[in-house]
Amino acid sequence: MALLEIENLSVNYGAIQAVRNLSLTVEEGEVVTLIGANGAGKTTTLRAVSRLMKPLSGSIRFGGRDITRLPADEAVKLGIAQSPEGRQVLARQSIQDNLELGAYTRSGPSVKADLSEMYERFPRLGERRDQMAGTLSGGEQQMLAIARALMSRPKLLLLDEPSLGLAPIIVREIFGIIRDLNARGTTILLVEQNAKLAMNASHRTYVLEAGQMTFTGDSAQLVNDERVLHAYLGG
Amino acid sequence: MELSQFIQNLMNGLAIGSVYAIFALGYTLVFSILGIINFAHGAVFTLGAYFTYTLVVGQFENNGLLKGVNLFPDGSPFSGQPLTFALATLLGATLAGLVAVLIERLAFRPMRSRGADPLLALVSSLGVALVIVNLIQLLVGAEIYNFPSNAYGDTPPALSFTLGGKIVIIRTVQVIIFAVSLVMLAVLGYVIGRTKIGKALRAVAESPTTASLLGISVDRFILITFFLSGFLGGLAGTLVGTAFGVAGPYFGVVYGLKGLAVIVLGGLGSIPGAVLGGLVIGLAEAFVPSQYSAYKDAVAFALLFVILLVRPQGLLGRSAIQKV
Repeated sequence: MALLEIENLSVNYGAIQAVRNLSLTVEEGEVVTLIGANGAGKTTTLRAVSRLMKPLSGSIRFGGRDITRLPADEAVKLGIAQSPEGRQVLARQSIQDNLELGAYTRSGPSVKADLSEMYERFPRLGERRDQMAGTLSGGEQQMLAIARALMSRPKLLLLDEPSLGLAPIIVREIFGIIRDLNARGTTILLVEQNAKLAMNASHRTYVLEAGQMTFTGDSAQLVNDERVLHAYLGG
Repeated sequence: MELSQFIQNLMNGLAIGSVYAIFALGYTLVFSILGIINFAHGAVFTLGAYFTYTLVVGQFENNGLLKGVNLFPDGSPFSGQPLTFALATLLGATLAGLVAVLIERLAFRPMRSRGADPLLALVSSLGVALVIVNLIQLLVGAEIYNFPSNAYGDTPPALSFTLGGKIVIIRTVQVIIFAVSLVMLAVLGYVIGRTKIGKALRAVAESPTTASLLGISVDRFILITFFLSGFLGGLAGTLVGTAFGVAGPYFGVVYGLKGLAVIVLGGLGSIPGAVLGGLVIGLAEAFVPSQYSAYKDAVAFALLFVILLVRPQGLLGRSAIQKV
């Protein structure tokens, strides 16, 4: 049984049908990438999984449980965490408070231990722990958003455009972190515009076009597939 | 002005200003979460005073449907001791908090869940305020009710001391009001600034979407916010009622407007701003010479006008920045 199973999902974004009849699965331990042009429905799919958006039809199952109608905060308790598009750090709270709020659904001494682990893994966050999150650079905010999502000890980590607007050297660093997280057992569903980078970091890829899945396969094979390029040029 | 007079005015100003502050914080909490003003807040203030009065006295002898009903034929268990009176005050504030939760359910939530313009909640909350005010009038009439002087036991009515050959008299109730308000502000500051609940509350205020992605139930925190807001409003109502009497169903209307002036002066949505704004307006009113006391409100609103000319975002408000 797959950790995440999406079946025939349709989601409206206002009056626009952003996702149409999408089916996909994520197995435990996998990194799966959704790629596609702007407006292809990638973010909408993630937001439906994290329960920020109500599907029109179809179903979402997580760990065998139907979560199609679950409130967003309940999804976190089941083990779904998202690092949202645009990072969305709480600008008016400190780095430490952001991370502690990431562990909002948990309690006990393990939270403290995880906090020190995050500071070890992301030393730049550790150095600035009392600084307001809004004063961080884009790359640091992205790291904070990922670390904050990890603080809930998710079974499934959703990453929405982690490379957006970042310098190439920071992007490489972020993808190093993604590989490392997966090597330690975190299952990841990744949305990216930077297709090549995302495919190199993932096991399987789904290509979306205008809200529909056009094709899917092993990332290693799709990396050299001309159809991927085609999907981006929108021809 | 002589020093003794100055001390007297200062104490008056701090007492009423600190009540303005905790009352205005009720507006601020709701505004920071929902971005709208709860126009029923003044009515909750009134209710808080009536709830406490009911617990302490147990009967309304003047008028209304409840005339002649005596809740405590053997005397109220909440009367006669400072501690029992404090308990009644806390219970009154708690009941006011629960009414505020009901107001959120009836006047705000249905609007929100239908995606209505937030401005419409102004109208629905104003409607609730009217219902509450009229219910009070129906039940207990429009007359003023004063707490009996023995309600809080054997506390002296005033403290007096001599300063530079002049006697300064400070009413005990003013000292109590100031102390209770300060404790309330300290507790609230601690809860919002330091605890997990406070941090989650601020997360909801900054971004409900992000908060729910962290596992925070936004709906639950809206209820918590309304409870806190109503508790503060009800407490302020009791404190003012203790000092000046429970002055009829429309008792809270003037305070409701004053509270709006306080939050605008301090900066909409700013918690330290509400406290500072409350103290500034309270002190400004207290220093109006007694022969001009009819112009107190004019002074408060003129001050608001002048400060807004210089700082449109209020004393401690953030200048409006577009959220990206």
